[in-house]
Amino acid sequence: MTPNQLPTTNDHRLVAIRAENISKRYSLQKQKTFKEFLPALIGRKETRVQFDALSHLDFELEKGESLGILGKNGSGKSTLLKVIAGVTKPSDGRITVEGRIAPLIELGAGFHPELTGRENVYLNGSILGIKRKEMEKLYPSIVTFSELEEFMDQPIKFYSSGMYMRLAFAVAVAETPDILLVDEILAVGDQKFQKKCLNRMAEFKTRGSTMVMVSHSPDMVRKYCTKGLVLQNGKQLYFGDIKEAADMYEKMMEG
Amino acid sequence: MSKIKKLVTNSRLFWDYRELLWNLANREITQRYKQSALGYAWVILNPLFQLIVMSFVFDKILHVASLGVPFIIFLSVALLPWNFFTQSLGSSSMSLVGNSNLITKIYFPREILVFSTIIAKMVDFGYSCLVLIAFLIIFRIPLTIYYLWIPVILVIQLLLTGGIALFVAAFNLFYRDIQYLLNLIILLWMYMTPIMYPIEIIPPQYRFVMSLNPMAVIVNAYRQVILSNNNPNFYSLTIAALVSTLIFILGFITFKKLEGQFADYV
Repeated sequence: MTPNQLPTTNDHRLVAIRAENISKRYSLQKQKTFKEFLPALIGRKETRVQFDALSHLDFELEKGESLGILGKNGSGKSTLLKVIAGVTKPSDGRITVEGRIAPLIELGAGFHPELTGRENVYLNGSILGIKRKEMEKLYPSIVTFSELEEFMDQPIKFYSSGMYMRLAFAVAVAETPDILLVDEILAVGDQKFQKKCLNRMAEFKTRGSTMVMVSHSPDMVRKYCTKGLVLQNGKQLYFGDIKEAADMYEKMMEG
Repeated sequence: MSKIKKLVTNSRLFWDYRELLWNLANREITQRYKQSALGYAWVILNPLFQLIVMSFVFDKILHVASLGVPFIIFLSVALLPWNFFTQSLGSSSMSLVGNSNLITKIYFPREILVFSTIIAKMVDFGYSCLVLIAFLIIFRIPLTIYYLWIPVILVIQLLLTGGIALFVAAFNLFYRDIQYLLNLIILLWMYMTPIMYPIEIIPPQYRFVMSLNPMAVIVNAYRQVILSNNNPNFYSLTIAALVSTLIFILGFITFKKLEGQFADYV
């Protein structure tokens, strides 16, 4: 592993993520094709359904902090992760994110079944914004971490789903990211490998990476996060200390 | 001022992801013919058979004039660039829709998906040109100074292709009708472009239609510089260049405007 390339990570006043009054409104088109859309438009039927996935979120996360996002299903957790990842723009407000993001959201999103493990590693690296030269240095550690030494030159369509996930995870965590996004509990491989993943995430924390984790489990976020954000129906119920957030979430789930 | 700043950040971002552009193009090329016995040879065999059958029909049966060179050469000079054009548009229309798993998960400049598929098709085009080169040698067509025009014409074609591809890719994400509409338009467009016939046989009163069609100008320019030992018609080529650049700029602006919504609709 190379040491984090950013010399500024020790400066704790630096903001990693700043959300200023962000909202995400989905305006869903009811009709999927012209054939359905045109008659609806002419007949002045409703063509759009509006839906607020996030409304007026306001929080700030400093470099090195870790945020746990808590909320029931459909409360906007995954949408918020997408907004932070820059995949979708907020419809209102502003989000500022500083640094390289490693999304551990859907692992292996860029993998192609016909390509070999090695080819996929390089391809996925470039999707994550890692330069080829950097990848060449990281490659041995990726192979070791994934424990797939003998399979790297086989097309990954022959991989088992566990092997697939291991390789994807190994690429995603190969380089210390500035910001790590984690969705739900990582169910990757057997217990031994899961422990390895969690260790690697703890390692990132000590190196100064900022982490954002979405979870249903209050215990998990208590263990790994310093800040908590509780969402309900897209609204921000609480942002602040993780203990308060986790307690609040537990109460919410009971009530 | 802010627009210029935005353009600079966009260009820098694109530059940062240039490796992804090559890697995606490479992925498309290497995966396509895996598990096929002849592999990449299909890229050459396909246009070869197309050329043989079409020359038989248009030359031996319909007796179409061909500028005094063997018809198969006359046809391939136009058909190969045309195939590059239509295949680029066809695969661009699927480039965003087919990569929805990437679009909803990870951020990178989305135009990379469109451009990488065009690059992959350009590699195919390069290989298919081996057929043309073979014909040029067999039929002893002389190599002239006018061949230097080819890169210029190719750049104009790339601008036109890229511009339309950006439109098609973006709109197909919102309405899948675009891909079917595209097939129809391409078919009609092919008949309205002098590929299977020389532009000279069009009655003069209808010729103006061809000058409105940038692909007609491009295809005709290839013929002029390769087969007629001549400069291309400078006036119509300039117009085609301007139109293509305009289409590219408009396509790019539209694409970038819609980019933020891709993940919500795909």
